[in-house]
Amino acid sequence: MRVSRRTLLRAALGAGAMNAWPLAEGLDPRAAHASATALGASWDAAPFTLGVGSGDPLPTSVLLWTRLAPEPLADVQPLPDVVQVDWAVATDAAMTAVVASGSVAASALLGHSVHVVAEGLQSGRRYYYRFGALGKVSRVGRTKTAPVGAVSLVRFASLNCQNYQSGEYPGMRDLAADNALDFVVHLGDYVYEGSELGTATSLNDYRKLHALYKGDPLLRGLHAAHPFYLTWDDHEVVNDYSGSRGAATFVARRAAAYQGWYEHMPLRLEGSDTALPDPRLYRTRRWGDLLELVVLDVRQYRSAQNLADGTILGTAQKAWLKQRISQRGSGWQCWINSIFLGQQRIPQGGFMFTDQWDGFRAERAEVLGHVRSAGGPDFVTITGDWHSAFVQDIKPDFDNPGAPVIGTEFVAHSATSSAYSPSWNATNGPLLGAANPHLRYFEGNRYGHDLYEVTPQRWTTRLRVVADRGDPAAAVSTLTSWHVDRGRAGAYEDPATKGSPAQYRR
Amino acid sequence: MRTANLIANGGAESDPGGTGQPSPVTGWTALEGGAAVVAYGTPGYPTTSGPGPADRGRNFLTGGTSARTRLTQLVTLPGTARIDAGAARFDFVGWLGGYAEQDDGARLSLEFLSAASTPLGVCVLGPVTASDRGATTGLLRRAWSGVVPPGSRTARVLLLLTRDGGTANDGYADSISLVLSTPTAFLGVTAGGS
Repeated sequence: MRVSRRTLLRAALGAGAMNAWPLAEGLDPRAAHASATALGASWDAAPFTLGVGSGDPLPTSVLLWTRLAPEPLADVQPLPDVVQVDWAVATDAAMTAVVASGSVAASALLGHSVHVVAEGLQSGRRYYYRFGALGKVSRVGRTKTAPVGAVSLVRFASLNCQNYQSGEYPGMRDLAADNALDFVVHLGDYVYEGSELGTATSLNDYRKLHALYKGDPLLRGLHAAHPFYLTWDDHEVVNDYSGSRGAATFVARRAAAYQGWYEHMPLRLEGSDTALPDPRLYRTRRWGDLLELVVLDVRQYRSAQNLADGTILGTAQKAWLKQRISQRGSGWQCWINSIFLGQQRIPQGGFMFTDQWDGFRAERAEVLGHVRSAGGPDFVTITGDWHSAFVQDIKPDFDNPGAPVIGTEFVAHSATSSAYSPSWNATNGPLLGAANPHLRYFEGNRYGHDLYEVTPQRWTTRLRVVADRGDPAAAVSTLTSWHVDRGRAGAYEDPATKGSPAQYRR
Repeated sequence: MRTANLIANGGAESDPGGTGQPSPVTGWTALEGGAAVVAYGTPGYPTTSGPGPADRGRNFLTGGTSARTRLTQLVTLPGTARIDAGAARFDFVGWLGGYAEQDDGARLSLEFLSAASTPLGVCVLGPVTASDRGATTGLLRRAWSGVVPPGSRTARVLLLLTRDGGTANDGYADSISLVLSTPTAFLGVTAGGS
């Protein structure tokens, strides 16, 4: 077993070697590269060091991404202002049957990243793609377009909270190898802006942060294997931020973080009110008639917490969301929601964290009331942020025992970011259960991701956990599975996994 | 070749200069909040002689009374053949500022968009912080020059004026300009090759 970067970093920092952290202040690119390599980082061949990715598939198009970065941890790339990047999409992995191709300018103004919309594709089928620039070609990526019409099964996974120095990414290897997976959802906290090792504030800081994360071969492998639908949470900028804050120092940092994020993500921009460096993330995507993904942005437009007229969505997104609820299709509606939607009281009666939707209670009541009155059954939300797994009922009024169950929230384990201690979980799991009658399940001692298998009859969430977050080769297994039957709100645990470890079960 | 300023009313001189109340601004579309055109020398605002552009004219823009005000305009780029050859350069300038020690501010950004409205490049000027201004009321020059990304057809300009506290949004902007030029010699685009 390889020694993990978490262990290596702890040892080096314990010995006072701050230069062990590749983004430590004052390191030149060569020293940063050496530190990263010592932690196990590696990159693809230049200039496509950061790999390739695809995202936001629609029935006839998909977004293709790469970024040229010959020296991933350098402030300035040794590249001309503009580099022509060629791209091609084929129906075979050998790239012989090319069905779409073109060229695009990679500009220093976007960190030499490219976002190409490959159009004219067939719905519901796999494609392969590759980039070329400066006489080199990238690795071949694989993607898939969204289907149309009747769909009998969709399989996808969600990831969140992947703090680089907290562990390795064995779950991503497992997902990349899953050839039957349709796509991956990322719920945010893709990068962590700061720690005792240093804090990102400038565009160059955020670029190098993303480039370091992309130095994980398992993360690059997952991007190359499946298309992503992405949203973000707070650590892409700074912990617990409210995006509407107006201080110029914060506005500058937010712009740097957002641009750095966009430059490294396969995000398709759309809508009339999306202007970089402030990309509009809220959007809807369909997988045939079976599934509608409602991607939320609960950071960019939020006000401060605990205000009577506070907002977590912002005016425009709230109106859009209520419209999506009213106009939903006949299939499952799934909210891609980075932060805890359900109420989470503590035994003393207050709230656990008001950075969550609990800090915006009037707006939550308004939106969930709209789900009850104008939406339909078959409502699921998938959530990250908490670093532990929860399954809970969604109700329009969590304090009213008689309020109906209108949906289910699945909160996933983190990929690597540290959770509470086992003793904390053992003590507080039952307390949270007692204080929150809508909570059905809590498990906080493990790391991993959620895997979803959705049919017209049933939604299944499998909690996939890794044997050791410090081992990139760790085994991945299903801890437990939960189901929601079509037309009947409320989740139930699969009888076969009911005996699995947990710190709370209702 | 050098174009004139491609941004309409970049100096807020097309409207009468008021005293801080929001009003439509010629050439700009308000996406959020409402901007105000204010005359230099209005009590409580930048003066005719304080930090700011030498050719400041009568007026500048503020964020009015909203916590966030966003103004935008879309510029159709001339000389597409030169742009696609990698031979067009741009100079993007704005004077941005705020009030005294308050950290209200103005951020000015420029996106180069393809015919399909895909961003090919972005540059962000400011915001100028209270620290940048030495806690002095006024506007400072911020600028960016570079190569217009080949394939660009439009440029989207976005002015974000934000309030950190109080009731007035004291993010200030003036003398915004975008000029394209063609150098006498250029190396062109570095070719790809897959």
